[in-house]
Amino acid sequence: MDAIAGAGIGAGLAVIGAGIGIGRLAAAAMESVARQPSAADAIRANMILTAAFIEGVALFGEVVCLLAVLG
Amino acid sequence: MKRTPTIDRFYKISAIILFTLGLAAGSTGVKASSPDKSTAHVDPDRDIAKIIIHHVMDSHDWHITDIGETAISLPLPWIIYNSDKGLQFFGSTHALEEDPSYVTSHEHFYYIKGEAHVSEEEAAAHPEKYVVVAGHGHGAAHGDHPKVYELAEGVTVIDFSLTKTGLQILLVALIMIVLFTSIAKSYKRRAGMAPKGVQSFFEPVILFVREDVAKPFLHGKHERFVPYLLTLFFFIWFSNLLGLTPLSSNIMGNTTITLMLAGMTFVLIVANSTKDFWMHILWFPGVPLWMKPLMLVVELIGFITKPAALAIRLFANISAGHFMVLSLISLIFILGKFGDSPGGAFGIMPLSIAFSIFIFAVELLVAAVQAFVFCLLTAVFIGQALESHDHGHDHGHEAEHAHGAH
Repeated sequence: MDAIAGAGIGAGLAVIGAGIGIGRLAAAAMESVARQPSAADAIRANMILTAAFIEGVALFGEVVCLLAVLG
Repeated sequence: MKRTPTIDRFYKISAIILFTLGLAAGSTGVKASSPDKSTAHVDPDRDIAKIIIHHVMDSHDWHITDIGETAISLPLPWIIYNSDKGLQFFGSTHALEEDPSYVTSHEHFYYIKGEAHVSEEEAAAHPEKYVVVAGHGHGAAHGDHPKVYELAEGVTVIDFSLTKTGLQILLVALIMIVLFTSIAKSYKRRAGMAPKGVQSFFEPVILFVREDVAKPFLHGKHERFVPYLLTLFFFIWFSNLLGLTPLSSNIMGNTTITLMLAGMTFVLIVANSTKDFWMHILWFPGVPLWMKPLMLVVELIGFITKPAALAIRLFANISAGHFMVLSLISLIFILGKFGDSPGGAFGIMPLSIAFSIFIFAVELLVAAVQAFVFCLLTAVFIGQALESHDHGHDHGHEAEHAHGAH
């Protein structure tokens, strides 16, 4: 039971972290596109790339939580 | 604003995504209602977590549906290399269970020497030597008493079986070979002319991978890598889409396959690495001497984690979607107490189906996005390995200049 509760809390915390990270990233990217619409394509590609890195770290956390429940 | 070719292409890609979304709405209804039969009949334990895990795991038969109590499934062969008996072939799991030299316990098969006359407690204390087969398992012929078997020592048993996931990989490969040879043929036949039919459907995607994934990151050497990146992109995309159809398993929700794909990226990184790349790992330029060993550790960790993160990202994204859909559908059975409380089931059903259709729509997008991200990062990592000094490797020099200015 402890492992499940811990995994649930951990999964939630990982999501909060990733949410803040991707939120800030998207806000900055939107602002950049508004300032420089001609660079929208380059900004979009870089945004997805960086979002993938942030998401990757969060997913490490989620996989650890999953293993805590299953293992 | 004038529509540039890139924006035009973006519209085309959006149109493709929307079109696939439309197609998905049709298949979601079937998927949403199919697990209820298997949940109600396959596992009387009513253990939702176990049922969900069972649904996303690889297996040795392709379970289609249950009619009454009979399971309709396509048995898949077991191919086992046994250093005692050589290559063995069994038509189905049932055929393997019939073989007296194998027993099954907790869904694993064990190659045994024979029955052992030791107590259960002693057998449980030496799991490397004995296996306990519970009363209802195969191999426990007499009554309900658990039986103890001695494992055959020094025998190597390797399982090469074609599993459900393996079969579906072959299916995706077949689809890709048929589809892309026909597209390649029509490019040859209609050289210089506008694309037609299935060719015009895939042309924007192919161009997208070449122009927006390969070209910006591979420093003019992209032509060499475009075929691999295209194969990777379509393989991941098609596998993910196939995983969303009813009856099929999630191919990319299997760590073996994602690790294999990431391993190929790793091999490509190493095979295309320049001296500069290794210098940056082993003896990072432009930092004070005391930091160099520290950077060596950091860079070595990064060298391994980059491909490992690729594998974990793909696996976690795809299996998370399947877990979410299955959990939302299971809510019906949890609140309905498996038929004991129909009110609860009918109460949650609209919400549960609406949410699972929403997650399915998101998953369709994720299927393409994850294929894109895997390709993009593969291109970025290979690009980093390919980089040599004349390609704007300023950071090292800048740091050296900054150091010199002090």
